[in-house]
Amino acid sequence: MGEKNGTELRAEIKKMIIDTLNLQDITVEDIADDLPLFGGENTLGLDSIDAIELVMAVQREFKVRIDDQNLAREVLKDVNSVAEFIESKSE
Amino acid sequence: MLIETFKHTMAAHCESGTLTALLNHKGLNISEPMIFGMGSGLYFGYLRHTPNLNFPMFILRTKSGKLRKKVAKRIGIKFKSEKYKNPEKAEKELDSLLEKGIPVAVQVDLYYMEYIPEWERVHANIHFITIVGKEDDYYIVSDSYFPKLAKLHKDNLRKARFAKGYLAPKGFMYYIDSVPESFDQKNIIRKAIKETINNMIGVQPPFIGVRGMRMFGKKVVEWPKITRDIDHLSHEVMKINIFLEDQGTGGGGFRFLYATFLRQAAELFQSPELESMSKKMMEIGDGWRNISYFAAKIGKNRDLGPEKLKELGALIVGRADAEEAFYKELKTVIHKI
Repeated sequence: MGEKNGTELRAEIKKMIIDTLNLQDITVEDIADDLPLFGGENTLGLDSIDAIELVMAVQREFKVRIDDQNLAREVLKDVNSVAEFIESKSE
Repeated sequence: MLIETFKHTMAAHCESGTLTALLNHKGLNISEPMIFGMGSGLYFGYLRHTPNLNFPMFILRTKSGKLRKKVAKRIGIKFKSEKYKNPEKAEKELDSLLEKGIPVAVQVDLYYMEYIPEWERVHANIHFITIVGKEDDYYIVSDSYFPKLAKLHKDNLRKARFAKGYLAPKGFMYYIDSVPESFDQKNIIRKAIKETINNMIGVQPPFIGVRGMRMFGKKVVEWPKITRDIDHLSHEVMKINIFLEDQGTGGGGFRFLYATFLRQAAELFQSPELESMSKKMMEIGDGWRNISYFAAKIGKNRDLGPEKLKELGALIVGRADAEEAFYKELKTVIHKI
């Protein structure tokens, strides 16, 4: 996948996160590519329920499987890691 | 000191992951899903009356320790294991094994694993880690839930190995004494799959296998009668998510791990039919993941009226139907390979 597609993909992922989790008052521009999605301070502040919902959404929207919890943890670190995972599956 | 040759890897489940890492270290090249499948690890049980717990629970894999013993017997692995009353003795013997270059698996309370972020740590007495070295007061730990080798202070390891409560570790440790040069893997796989089929749809008590799933689906609707209040009910419903997804199941209540085992078995047998069963098991896992999400959501939102619980129950019964059909089909496939 090319660089332009990479940028588009990241925007699509951010939109998916906002739509799936129904995040109020957050736009695509508010989510940096390397903003941690989970954890303590300076993160998007998602919880474990959001994590399952995101796993299911990534599978549904991008047709890639995340069938391991450790893998899910790695993939859902930030938008970059989600994009890299999707890209690696479409190579 | 550090056992340099030990290769740290992450795993779906701590018990099968630790065992796999030790076997790999000993020269037996085998994957975690294969160990899980060959040990007939997949299971289901709805336990209405549990010792030390005052609420029903469901289990998705065989009892802790059973997988290891079963795999050992089937493959011909020899273990050395020990439980301790005296923490000093336990530590001394662990150090002595490390000095000899032997990695050692220990049972611990997950809560004391200081390298895991605090918000992810809970008291769980049946976590397994491998100790692969020691530097001053810190042990070097390979934890299959952690991406790299970690350091754990000896005081925390001691607390973790001698934590009290349900399924207390009692200092339990094991290491591998020997592995066979060869074994009949195909035969073990056939036998292991047959046992799993029997556990799921064979003659079993009504709370085991697919009958257990149906019981769970029926009983969950009655949970408001056995909970103190909405907070308690919410807590118990949300635990369904934790048991299915969060407690080292590899996701989908171990179903994804078993699907991977079936795919690897299909490659070994060159069987498209077994490959197709693997895909079906993945879909079954997706259904359990959906239940996990549903339960987490209604629990979190306190949306626990009779209709929602009926919906949850129906989803669970739906898994029972899907799994029953699956094992019946798997039974015919296994007779052909």
